Amino acid sequence: MARREKTDVSRRDVVKMAGATGLAGLGVAGSASAQEYPPIGNFPIQGNPTFGFTVPQSGPYSSEGQDELRAYRMAVEHLNNGGGWVDNWSDLSGNGVLDQQIEFVSGDTATDADTARQTARRMIQRDQAIMLSGGSSSAVAIAIQELCQREKVNYMCCLTHSNDTTGKSCVRYSFREMFNAYMSAQALVPPVTNEYGGDNNFYQLYADYTWGQTVQSSMSQFFGEAGWNEMNSVATPLGTKDFSSYLSQVPRDQTDVLFLDHYGLDGANSLSQAKEMGLDEDMEIVVPLYNRPMAQAAGGAIEDVFGTVAWDSQIDNPPSNQFTQAFNDRYDRIPSGPAQLAYAQTLQYAAAVQRAGTFYPPEVIKQLEGREYNNIGMGQELMRKCDHQAQRAVPVVKGLSESEQQQGQFFEIVNLTGADQLGYSCDEGPAGECELGPYE
Amino acid sequence: MSDEPTETPDATDETGSVVERTQRELPSWERIRESELFVVAATTLAVAIFPWLFARAPVVSGVLQGYQDLATLILIWGIFAMGFNLLLGYTGLLSFGHAAFWGGAAYAAGVFSAQVSSSPILIILAGTSFAALSAWILGFISLRRGGIYFAILTLAFGQMAFYMALSPLAWITGGENGFTGVELGKLFGVFQLRYPVPGLDWLVGTWKYVLVGGVAVLCVAAANRILHSPYGMVFRAIRENDQRAEFVGLNVWRYKLMAFIISGTFAGVAGSLFTIYSAYVPLSSFYWTTSGEVVIMAVLGGVGSLFGPILGAAIYLYVENIVSGVQQLTLPFTGPNEYVTLVQEPVVLMDGFGAYWHLILGLVFVAVVVLFPRGIWGLLMDFGSAVRKLGGGR
Amino acid sequence: MSLLAETVTVLLNGLQQGAIYVLVAIGLSIILGTLKFVNFAHGALYLIGTYAGLLITLKITPTGGKLADWGYTTLGLGWGFLPALLIVPILVFVVGLAMERFVARPFYDRPDTDQILLTFGLAIVVQEVFKILFGGQSYNFARPGWASGQVGLPIVGTFPEWRLYIIGITATVVVLVYGLIEYTDFGLVVRAGTRDAEMVELLGIKLSRPYLMVFGVGAALAGVAGVVGGPLYAVNPNIGTEVLVPSFLVVVIGGVGSISGAVLGGILIGETLAVMVAIAPQWSQVGIYVLAAIVLLARPQGLLGAEEVAP
Repeated sequence: MARREKTDVSRRDVVKMAGATGLAGLGVAGSASAQEYPPIGNFPIQGNPTFGFTVPQSGPYSSEGQDELRAYRMAVEHLNNGGGWVDNWSDLSGNGVLDQQIEFVSGDTATDADTARQTARRMIQRDQAIMLSGGSSSAVAIAIQELCQREKVNYMCCLTHSNDTTGKSCVRYSFREMFNAYMSAQALVPPVTNEYGGDNNFYQLYADYTWGQTVQSSMSQFFGEAGWNEMNSVATPLGTKDFSSYLSQVPRDQTDVLFLDHYGLDGANSLSQAKEMGLDEDMEIVVPLYNRPMAQAAGGAIEDVFGTVAWDSQIDNPPSNQFTQAFNDRYDRIPSGPAQLAYAQTLQYAAAVQRAGTFYPPEVIKQLEGREYNNIGMGQELMRKCDHQAQRAVPVVKGLSESEQQQGQFFEIVNLTGADQLGYSCDEGPAGECELGPYE
Repeated sequence: MSDEPTETPDATDETGSVVERTQRELPSWERIRESELFVVAATTLAVAIFPWLFARAPVVSGVLQGYQDLATLILIWGIFAMGFNLLLGYTGLLSFGHAAFWGGAAYAAGVFSAQVSSSPILIILAGTSFAALSAWILGFISLRRGGIYFAILTLAFGQMAFYMALSPLAWITGGENGFTGVELGKLFGVFQLRYPVPGLDWLVGTWKYVLVGGVAVLCVAAANRILHSPYGMVFRAIRENDQRAEFVGLNVWRYKLMAFIISGTFAGVAGSLFTIYSAYVPLSSFYWTTSGEVVIMAVLGGVGSLFGPILGAAIYLYVENIVSGVQQLTLPFTGPNEYVTLVQEPVVLMDGFGAYWHLILGLVFVAVVVLFPRGIWGLLMDFGSAVRKLGGGR
Repeated sequence: MSLLAETVTVLLNGLQQGAIYVLVAIGLSIILGTLKFVNFAHGALYLIGTYAGLLITLKITPTGGKLADWGYTTLGLGWGFLPALLIVPILVFVVGLAMERFVARPFYDRPDTDQILLTFGLAIVVQEVFKILFGGQSYNFARPGWASGQVGLPIVGTFPEWRLYIIGITATVVVLVYGLIEYTDFGLVVRAGTRDAEMVELLGIKLSRPYLMVFGVGAALAGVAGVVGGPLYAVNPNIGTEVLVPSFLVVVIGGVGSISGAVLGGILIGETLAVMVAIAPQWSQVGIYVLAAIVLLARPQGLLGAEEVAP
């Protein structure tokens, strides 16, 4: 059988038990760095360093996964041969990482925690990946990062928005550039209160699982603090397709703003059904987080609806423009928000390895922790040491009408709410529940 | 397989009594193969060398692209499919709700490990008992109607379990995020599951595999014993014609319930092992696709044979986890890094091949249902006996 | 909103959600009752109906899948909704005929488990083909412009116009099918075949043609459900299996082979969902399975099913 993605049999033939910390690395020829640091996880590396990218390739978010994978591929190409941000980041050489050419493997998560974990195991055990990255859902990210902590492999989150990823479920081996529900709510307050006034009644429908609950509580907290009055918030079970029964209970004459805390496909259904029932004639609608598959599925229903996005190509600053340009040159299409995250987090990891001078995971973690940077187009940022959550700007957008929408363009940027207006200290909010776990 | 003993023609030259004696005293290959000792010994051997062959052996593992944990997972699903087949293959009852037992056991095992004891053996016992109990209750209700009603009722109960775990019981199950609080202690209080077995790690790998492999061998032995007991005979009679079995005075309903409970128990063993394997219980373990997967595995491998479903599980998981990651389908021996390279430039047959894995499985499944009701195992057996007839026959 | 208005709204919501299940379940039920054929691929017919409806009604831009890779930037005819409502049932009728001829007929003599396995596999194949061609993500099937507004109703105030149309279309189709089965010669043969196929054959009536028709009509109903239900939700390759499980519940609750049973079962399921959402949302999905279990334990042949029909 000659089907394979990556062909270097010799390395895989080496007996090496992933997970057997301290007992691994039997018969491994030691490199210079291997003599400095004890073996841990997939360190020391045999052959070229391999990154593992876990993206949804089947299921409702497969188009988003494809775009992430494009960005990952481009990131590896730039790391190995220069180009894009690599030319500007002083840490990176454009000649591989620590002068070694990077290889990568990719695998499907199907937006399902179980499949994702199985894929991650394959990458860690068979492909000896030194770093994993990817994901399009919080359940997937949490499942993989927990595995990575056990197996002592670095994980760079991609799109995950739940407070828990860097809150209750946070781990030492994972870092998140993406903002969370808490920060989304904070970021929405200034532009939304600015547009709709400071004294409103709001009503929430939220998806009844961790992500939905964290969005709901964050919205209640911050819009409550801004002087709005919460009338009610109703949980909708995950997997609900028809929201009409919930929507018909929204009191039309008293509600000013309706929050639909549903993500992706559920969000597309609840939003279009709300429009169908004419709720937008009596009140304004806000969604916490947009993505492209949702916008496509909701079509014209997103018109004038506020929300946040991971990133958008309309953001006008040098790193953003440079990324859009590079992506467009390479693939002849406009990158999505998760693509920018994928690209940024891969390069951040590589830069940390360069600074550490080794792939030894605990040293790489120490280089990422507490790092201040301003090179991915989200303003001055801090990767916090206490919870591994980036403190950064959050883009707030409004949906475009159906006639204004075009390929890759669904939103207009309203505001880039800066990091100084967002965030929370290390002992409050989600960070208060975070126990990162050991380095080794 | 063919039931005709493949006697050599020379034997007929002797007197009839001699033939009888040789048959009794020197049992034929077919007979040896049926004996319990042989089944257990062969299974043990296969289970022991499987992870080495699959994940570490030179050349073979390179071609197969396997890895240790997938070998473990194949055994776990193999137990599940084998138990499922005791129902479908031997009594002809098609359940679309076995996720309820697999998932129920997985969650019970997870909760037990966090609340009561983290001993792997006790975890398995707890999960399995929970599954057996649920199988008894659900079987009692579902078996009131046969045929398609049974399939739909089991499907409905499985989905009910899923929605219970998703929302009303999310405070126990963790809802969408799954159950993450699994605690795993040492096997027999001595062996850390994630550590390699000293001296044998090149062969079997970790203690985790030893545990799963050991349970798998026990399960095969148990299933083999059941099938050769009077129970097994009755199950087969029911599959052939349950009315006739009823006329002979058998309480068919009781036997069906028994088969259902036995098969649910096997699902429970597998589900508990899955919790130990992954240290995590995903919500999807209750979803109907899990029931669907075990149906596909059993039918693909071959219902009505002991080992067919295990083969089916191996094929399914192999395609799901290895083939699905293949980006390009190339002709053998083309391109660099082959063992024998004929052409340096790889001849690409299909790009993005891995994405078709589900479709391919679906098509193969349909083909098996239509053309080979005894599955791939049945095909191999037919092939094997044909070869033996050709080679040893004359 | 007054309690009365709230109650009526909930009941209307339930009726509308039940309507889609009714359309799918009638087809399942008459095929199962007459032909004794278990069709797990019936959801695939709904899937085909929805995608066909989408492509006839609108021009869409594929955003994933092979069609996009092959360079198709726009797909679909953009003829509007009414042509779709006429063409799709005919199209799916033809698909149904082909399915009877090439899938079902060779399996009439096989045990029902084999029929279930075959159609289960077929459903996977159809779903995967759509996933590969159009991608796994969702498309927006916009409601026709003339029906996307609100209607004023007494008591409840306003109600989405499209949902009222669904109730109306379903009612019309049910009456037509009921008339076809109860008052035509074709229906007579079908009903007789349901009771005792061997006897009908002995009387010299060939059943293969009525059987073909029954399958076609059942399929066409799933097609209608796909077109009218499509605009309610985002369209993706999983909608077929999603609609199948509740529809099977409708069939067993109502009783196999009974059209009025399917209508009753569909309304019960729809109302249970809507009422549970109003009082205990967490339990809404669990509710329909509990309902099915209770009905089957109390009345195994279904609410309106005849004892001897059940296989």
